[in-house]
Amino acid sequence: MPALDRLRGVRVVADPVAVDRATFHGDDVTVLRFAPDDAFGLGAGGVDVDDPDAIVEDERGFVGAWLDPAGIELHTEWPLPTERPALAQGSIAGVPAKLWLPVDGDALVLTAAAYGDELETRLGWRS
Amino acid sequence: MTDRSATVAAGDGGRLVVDGRPVAFRPGDSVAVAMLREGLVPGRGGTICLAGDCGNCLAQVDGVAYVRTCQTAARAGLSVVGHPSEGLPDLPVVRATAATSSPLAREIEVARREVDVAIVGGGSAGLEAAETAERSGRTVLVLDAGAGDEVVAIYAGPMLVVRTRAGMLHVHAHEIVVATGAAEIHPVAPGSGLRGLVTARAAERLQAAGVSLGAAVAVGTPPEGVAATPASGRPVRFEGKEGRVRAVVTVDAASGAETTTPADTVVLGLGCAPRDLLARMAGEVPLSVVGAAAEEAPLPPPPTEGVVCPCMGTTVADLEAAWDKGFQELELLKRSSQACLGTCQGGACLSHVRSWIAARTGEVPAPFTARPASRQITLAEAAADAYVDAFRRTPLHDEHLALGARMDRFGNWWRPWHYGDPIAEYWAVREGVSLGDVSTLGKLVVSGPDVVEALERLYPCHVADIKPGRSRYALLLNERGHVMDDGMILRESETRFVLSFTSGGAANAEMWVRDWIETWGLRVHVLDRTMSLGAINVTGPLAGELLRRAGLADQPRFLGHVHADIAEVPSHVMRLSFTGEAAFELHHPVDRSVELWRALMDLGADLGIRPHGLQALFGLRLEKGHVIVGMDTELDTTPRRIGLDWAVRMEKPAFIGRAALERTAKLDDHRRWMGFTMDGVAPTEGSPIWADGEIVGNVTGSWTSPLLGKALVLGWQRRTPVRDRVEIDGREAAVSPTPFYDPEGHRARA
Repeated sequence: MPALDRLRGVRVVADPVAVDRATFHGDDVTVLRFAPDDAFGLGAGGVDVDDPDAIVEDERGFVGAWLDPAGIELHTEWPLPTERPALAQGSIAGVPAKLWLPVDGDALVLTAAAYGDELETRLGWRS
Repeated sequence: MTDRSATVAAGDGGRLVVDGRPVAFRPGDSVAVAMLREGLVPGRGGTICLAGDCGNCLAQVDGVAYVRTCQTAARAGLSVVGHPSEGLPDLPVVRATAATSSPLAREIEVARREVDVAIVGGGSAGLEAAETAERSGRTVLVLDAGAGDEVVAIYAGPMLVVRTRAGMLHVHAHEIVVATGAAEIHPVAPGSGLRGLVTARAAERLQAAGVSLGAAVAVGTPPEGVAATPASGRPVRFEGKEGRVRAVVTVDAASGAETTTPADTVVLGLGCAPRDLLARMAGEVPLSVVGAAAEEAPLPPPPTEGVVCPCMGTTVADLEAAWDKGFQELELLKRSSQACLGTCQGGACLSHVRSWIAARTGEVPAPFTARPASRQITLAEAAADAYVDAFRRTPLHDEHLALGARMDRFGNWWRPWHYGDPIAEYWAVREGVSLGDVSTLGKLVVSGPDVVEALERLYPCHVADIKPGRSRYALLLNERGHVMDDGMILRESETRFVLSFTSGGAANAEMWVRDWIETWGLRVHVLDRTMSLGAINVTGPLAGELLRRAGLADQPRFLGHVHADIAEVPSHVMRLSFTGEAAFELHHPVDRSVELWRALMDLGADLGIRPHGLQALFGLRLEKGHVIVGMDTELDTTPRRIGLDWAVRMEKPAFIGRAALERTAKLDDHRRWMGFTMDGVAPTEGSPIWADGEIVGNVTGSWTSPLLGKALVLGWQRRTPVRDRVEIDGREAAVSPTPFYDPEGHRARA
């Protein structure tokens, strides 16, 4: 059974242009753009962002799992994006969640850790 | 419903079981047709339409009650049990494996389809609409109840909910065409509940299915191809014996003479009414109605006697009684008399009720708005593929369980209600030290050059004078000056603040803050940290000592806050108090909550530390008279009503809600939230508060105080003059100033 693991990275909320140009520190960073002014550098240890008022925080509040997105589509009322890469945000099995679809390979389903147990249960990953 | 089996020998389809007795059916039979062929009557009696328009053929089918047998295809082994002649059928016993899931709902498959045009109804009008749409190159789906695809709801989207033989189908359509035809009008007259009455179309179907009607008499428009003796005039009475019709009495409109015609079956051709329930459900959804469903049809004569609504048993006398009470409008009459509220949702009675009203007012009322579901569906079908709200777990959830906590749901979170001994938890706070999990509190970081301006506009208190490292209690008001939420404003630097909100109000507050900042165009960044940070409240007279042990040498004074490592966990330490004792909230990375919690529990072991749940917390706050927004407040609660005027600085030139507060301050206000004390145990929360024989308010919080030895109550008085003494739970209660405990607040500041 898949399981949701703690995701670690850096969250930055700043001027959208500054977020566009932000440089996340780390070798294997996946940047998830939650909103024009909000990005999560998954795997990042820091970030350079040109905005003196930027909010930069270590982000440990998400859990996630990499998997075949076909298994997730059964649990969404919305069609998965056909374009890649894409970040979809909505309800998965009735739980607020996000789905990162890279250019190829598995997708990352992530949710707030507070919802992790509920999502795993609803996806049938735990009893 | 089409029965195509007239030439098939009886029994070729198999047998179903009706009240324990095998009943043969033919291929294509509905359950109702199979039963009628055997001389059995589906339902309790009344006119049979075989079109799903009424509730006269309901039975329990395979354990599910209220199933229309005329719409249920017969199949081998199907179990049919008649509803009891009086009262309601038994509810099935469902043994759910968990409170939040239903095994029945899980078993029902939900399919989804997206089409250009969904056509409801497979009759001639529907098929014509389908052909037209297909010719224009659009994808079309025809949903016909007779073919097993019953549309039970239309929602915005548009989205249709369809019950199919395979489960449920959710159809997302760009356009909806309703072609549901017309329903035959049922008679309203004494004896209309007898068995042996059928509509004209039903008679034709029964004839085609090889069902004997015996000596049939046709009233009104006769059926085609059915041998029936015509009886002229309007039916005014049905006479019967042992529940079965034996004759129909008609009256000649011109002479008023009555004629009694013996009959085994009375076939009723009384006209039709548009079958437009789904069309009336659509509301703003773009939808077209075609065919008979769209056609105006003459109403039946106003009923004068008998049962109007067979589902609910509403009689003409019931309508008159409701009318005489003043319910003289269709919607009101419906609610008062219960007509049209049954399983057929007015299918059999709406035209009669409209006609009855029209006879009194001279105007024909428009049909009422319909709401899902148009056909009775099971809860499992309604719940299929739908999820209950997801309740969040704090990072300490498993710790609470390991400590024996009884968990409950508050503000969309699972939270510990108590750990087995709420009184001991209370005393740990009052006399020692205790931990509380407050991870659920809303936590927002706001930063930017305009942040002070934004917060000054958002909050009714001053913000600019909050120094970095200090905090202030704040209300959040809406434009009407009503309390939406409350929490703390903590200043971290000139341009950065942390805002806290209640657990239940945090999500709404976040949207509120974001919306206004965007509306004003201010340069402020917002980050919601509610689920990224855990929070532990360390409270009690020994809280400072515990935190010294955990590494906090320089402790912030009351309403101060610092960043420091607590037991090696980086924490934002906030010196606040909701319990009335010294308290420190430790906000920290959510993945380190367990580590911090355990370290504090270990360090405080010799101090008698124990965690406290919400039950103790509610008692502690009640002794302090602290308001819980959403629990003590109402949707229109102003600061004045709950004694929090001090948190509103009207000298500020502008803040959300200011104009409304200024205006309403000049008006009389009869509502006050206040404290009461009384002997004995605390009354139940929600109890009415009485004075002079009338209810003047209600209890919003109550607690039998272990420390003060009496019952403490918080609640509303909504009448003036405010009474000094009231009655709650049959006992006298006295208005008492709050806080009940430590009114000077020395202990929280210690």
